[in-house]
Amino acid sequence: MARRWWTFPLLLVSALAPSFSLADLAFENTAIVRTIELGGSLVHVSTTYAVKALEPGQSTYQIAISKDERAKTSWLEVKVKGRTTPLELSEDESSTEHLLSVSLPKALGVNGTLNLVLETVQTHATHPFPEQATQKEPQLLKYTTDLFTSSPYTTLVQRTKIKSLAPNVISYTTPHDVDSFARDGTVTRSGGTITYGPYHDTQTDADFMAKYQQPISVHYSFDHPVLEIETLRRTAEISHWGSNLNIEDKIHLHNAGPALKGHFSRLEYQSQNYHRKQSPHILSDFALHLPPGVTNAYFYDQNGNVSTSHLRAAPSVAKGSKAIQYSVLELRPRYPVLGGWNYSYTIGFDTPLQDSVGYDAKNGVYMVGVPVMTNIAGTVVNDAEVKIILPEGATYVEFVSPFPALSSSMSTHISYLDTTGRPAVTFTYKDLTYKHTGIIYVSYQVPLSAHLKKAMSVGAAFFSLFAFAFMARRVDLKLHKK
Amino acid sequence: MPAAYPLPSDLSPATVTNTASLLRIIALALISGAAIASRLFAVINFESIIHEFDPWFNYRATKVLASQGFYEFWNWFDPTAWYPLGRVVGGTIYPGLMATSGVIYNLLHALNLPVDIRNICVLLAPGFSALTAWATYMFTKELKDESAGLLAAAFIGIVPGYISRSVAGSYDNEAIAIFLLMFTFYAWIKALKQGSAFWGTVAAVFYFYMVAAWGGYAFITNMIPLHALVLLLMGRFTGRLYVAYSSWYAIGTLSSMQVPFVGFQPIRTSEHMAALGVFGLLQIVAFAQLVRAHVSSKQFQELLFTAVISLGLIGFFGIVGLTYKGWIAPWTGRFYSLWDTGYAKKYIPIIASVSEHQPTAWPSFFMDLHFLIFLFPAGVVMCFRTLRDEHVFVIIYAVVASYFAGVMVRLMLTLTPVVCVSAAVALSSLMDTYLDPTEPNAEDDTSDSSSTHPTGTTPTTTPATPATNKKAKKNKEKEKEKESTGGVLGELVSNVASSAVAAKSAPTAEKGVFGIDTRLIVLLNSLGLLLFFVVHCTWATSNAYSSPSVVLSSTGSDGSKNLIDDFREAYHWLRQNTAEDAVVMSWWDYGYQIAGMADRPTLVDNNTWNNTHIATVGKAMASPEDIAYPILRKHDVSYVLIIFGGLIGYSGDDINKFLWMVRIAQGVWPDEIQEPNYFNRGEYRVDSEAAPAMRDSLMYKMSYYRFAELFGGQQPVDRVRGQHVPIQGPTLDYLEEAYTSENWIVRIYEVKKDDVLGRDLKIANAFNQGKKRKRTKPVSRRKAISA
Repeated sequence: MARRWWTFPLLLVSALAPSFSLADLAFENTAIVRTIELGGSLVHVSTTYAVKALEPGQSTYQIAISKDERAKTSWLEVKVKGRTTPLELSEDESSTEHLLSVSLPKALGVNGTLNLVLETVQTHATHPFPEQATQKEPQLLKYTTDLFTSSPYTTLVQRTKIKSLAPNVISYTTPHDVDSFARDGTVTRSGGTITYGPYHDTQTDADFMAKYQQPISVHYSFDHPVLEIETLRRTAEISHWGSNLNIEDKIHLHNAGPALKGHFSRLEYQSQNYHRKQSPHILSDFALHLPPGVTNAYFYDQNGNVSTSHLRAAPSVAKGSKAIQYSVLELRPRYPVLGGWNYSYTIGFDTPLQDSVGYDAKNGVYMVGVPVMTNIAGTVVNDAEVKIILPEGATYVEFVSPFPALSSSMSTHISYLDTTGRPAVTFTYKDLTYKHTGIIYVSYQVPLSAHLKKAMSVGAAFFSLFAFAFMARRVDLKLHKK
Repeated sequence: MPAAYPLPSDLSPATVTNTASLLRIIALALISGAAIASRLFAVINFESIIHEFDPWFNYRATKVLASQGFYEFWNWFDPTAWYPLGRVVGGTIYPGLMATSGVIYNLLHALNLPVDIRNICVLLAPGFSALTAWATYMFTKELKDESAGLLAAAFIGIVPGYISRSVAGSYDNEAIAIFLLMFTFYAWIKALKQGSAFWGTVAAVFYFYMVAAWGGYAFITNMIPLHALVLLLMGRFTGRLYVAYSSWYAIGTLSSMQVPFVGFQPIRTSEHMAALGVFGLLQIVAFAQLVRAHVSSKQFQELLFTAVISLGLIGFFGIVGLTYKGWIAPWTGRFYSLWDTGYAKKYIPIIASVSEHQPTAWPSFFMDLHFLIFLFPAGVVMCFRTLRDEHVFVIIYAVVASYFAGVMVRLMLTLTPVVCVSAAVALSSLMDTYLDPTEPNAEDDTSDSSSTHPTGTTPTTTPATPATNKKAKKNKEKEKEKESTGGVLGELVSNVASSAVAAKSAPTAEKGVFGIDTRLIVLLNSLGLLLFFVVHCTWATSNAYSSPSVVLSSTGSDGSKNLIDDFREAYHWLRQNTAEDAVVMSWWDYGYQIAGMADRPTLVDNNTWNNTHIATVGKAMASPEDIAYPILRKHDVSYVLIIFGGLIGYSGDDINKFLWMVRIAQGVWPDEIQEPNYFNRGEYRVDSEAAPAMRDSLMYKMSYYRFAELFGGQQPVDRVRGQHVPIQGPTLDYLEEAYTSENWIVRIYEVKKDDVLGRDLKIANAFNQGKKRKRTKPVSRRKAISA
């Protein structure tokens, strides 16, 4: 009940927000610095707000993100600069801008200042331009965003830095009509970094936005393949009898870089390899970090085992202690994955159960932790489904996802030697990035009878077989006795 | 009663029987284990993968059966095969194999054992080989005794001649067919011996299963009538033969007609007429027997004479007349090629182009059968010594199968069982003789011994068990070979069980083996041979017969193993990065693999039913680009796939198969394609001396396109043919390279679409390269439109 009382005014505020948000004078942004790190599938944006309170007792600060940008953002977090704990957020989608209400750690007095950092990861924010490239050509991408960072409050000075990993920036937009705000030039470039601003005294209200807000885009070259995992189907199967946790990923990988123009030439590919000048959009191999203690790693596709993989397994570590090293699984797809090509495959591995399952002997509760995904550097997972299969007969199943899932459901999975089937929990997610490698925790209880079920059923089957043989040998069905 | 070695005498007969029975079961279990284990080399060295070509189709069909159910499979029309004709799969295959896997699959899934269908397919052949060993045991037991049975089971379990067709992953009809063959023969022998309609029906049911499983069922269809006929001619007609044959034929034929692919063939084709004829003959003979029982001898003689003559003539002319009228199909080409080995090469090049249809080379008899081939004649001779009905069967089987095995490599498979059976009979007779502890009597008391021997044997042979038993165990531990166990064990069993042997040996007791040393020499010798046999089988299996041929393996100079996985690489690329309805043209060898692994429509595949279609592909491959292009366009071909081994020395590539394409194309278009054009002064060359037709052919161009550039200006070498190819490689106008696999084994070309400006592609290409157009005839324009 208390919780409700607390949310009600907030709801009210957010419902009314659009009408007066642009004239809100509770805060003032002394400076906004936005840093955009360009990538392939992922773009990392961190925005620092230097906040000054104009009215006393303010504990909720609002951050505006355009609808467009919010749709691209798959992960966001607000922190006080220098702190590690993220602040509580609530989102409001009703106004023209997407508003994030940040609960400040403590209310600010008049002229109290605070530096807030908003970190977001955008997916599908870049697109190849031109959309096609031959095997030899570089990979060029285009990223577009808004010039001004909008905010419900007055902003004294703001600046946007766009950083490209490679210094090779083909072109960038020069904003127009902004000379009145810019004192040191509207845009400057040094190497791979393009700085818009600083712009002074931007009002950021609706009129201002309508007049001066404009898209800016950067055309840059990117030296790594742009990878998307279109679907990820992860199955984690827990076996207490085998003391084993098996994780299997069915992955459909797509190279979202510029589509290959013309055809693939093995000759060129081999000579590029020979001269160590491989085109950036060709994915020929990649490595996965698996937990320590991995055994029986496998990598296959529809046509069977892919023989070109290596596993360097690190030894298992005691639970709770920090792993010093990861096992590394080096994968090489059957063929180099060029722009626009697909490759679907399955990988799987076993880990010792004690590394991921804890047992509370007092309550008889098992707790298992299963990572949502194994990250491939720089990829986005468009659509993920994680299924955790518990041992047969598991009861009192409870689960918690590290971040909200699109859906979660229970089902029954029937596998080897099952009689009643195993309970399974399924989660679905979308647009996962390296920020989403959290762990799903599932707790359950397994009575002793359920543990013995398998042994009993196998025993019964063999017993009946022998009993049948025993009978069959001794029953004589002959009509004519000799 | 002298004995070569002492035997314990304090064992009850019941103990002996039980121990013997237990040991038999253990021996059979071990034999099954060895049979399965030795077939797993392919899985261990490579992986659980379907092998070669035909198995890929069987696997694909089985997947349809497992995922969509039996009726969908039965009515399956596959539009992707033989594009654009399609293929009625349900009516053109022997469904026994897929049905077997489907039943196993559903059974396991019903028991909550969700085994992958691929693993069932891969391991089906090893599993059935264990059953084959058992069936051979039963068959040989009928012939001689359990000891020979166990030996035969061990032989068939590991003999390379059978392993070559049944390693794990070799998911072909033969995988289950040999078991069915042996079991049908066993049931037939059993039916014949007992005159039992029940066993006749069992034989018929297994015959039906065989018909549903393998085209080689015609072998049974003709073996059993032949046996019956020979028995008849030997004057061995009995009621038992009549009952056995009639029940087998009636039920077997009716049930075999239920297989859609077979349909009315059993009454309409010449291959099946022998069975029908013998059936009729048996009715006549049986009727004659009946009449003889009722009329006087004189009358019967006359009646018999006229009746047999007239009925025989009517029957013969009936069949000839029906054949002439077209009611009975005459012998097929495949059948003729069994009698005249040159026939296929002349008239049906497709059959001759398959390597397994070639006549067998002598060394392969030794390779596939090792020392069994030497014991085989001995065993057949021994069958003459005790010439019961079943021995007649083995003799006929041996003669017929030997001939066929000599004509065609793949028919070695049908010879293998009878070789194992008769070799086991020979070897077990040898062992019986030399393991028998009774010493021959001295010359003076011959008369005495002959009378006392039969009574004397019982006490001496019965206690023989433990001694030999122990020896058997020792042998087993030492060598871990099943056949040595089988041999000695079988010996023990025969000692225990057959007083008949003892009784038979009684009159000849003055002849025999003296002393323990002679025995040991012979026995150790045979043991040594068996050992070598096992070593040879293991070697042959692991080296010669366990390669999936989809994955190749090479050994590096430091002994490391490299897998060459180009086929799957290219097929997988096709599967994931081309349009789903893109038609792929390749030589028919790769049709099933493309359908199975790449899941794309193909023009021709390994089910070589339409010669013209194959010849069309052959013509396209053998023609220059501008002639091939309209053919490709008319067949909606998007990609052309070829196999090229020149870079790493893979000898089974398309250039080496190219002459067959030419020959098959020549068979249909003798005016356009002529084999001699592809030779330069009688030599088949690919270097700068290559014949013009060869150099212009699509196949040559696709194989060597940009190959020379790989050598960076040096003289390029084709490692398969050991020839230097020209530095200036061929150019392509109508096709463009789409994909080449890592070791250049698989090369895929995309067929260009018509030029947007309606130009001929050659001219368009020249224009793009900035060359001047030499002639300005509007011919090209018309050509492009007609294409």
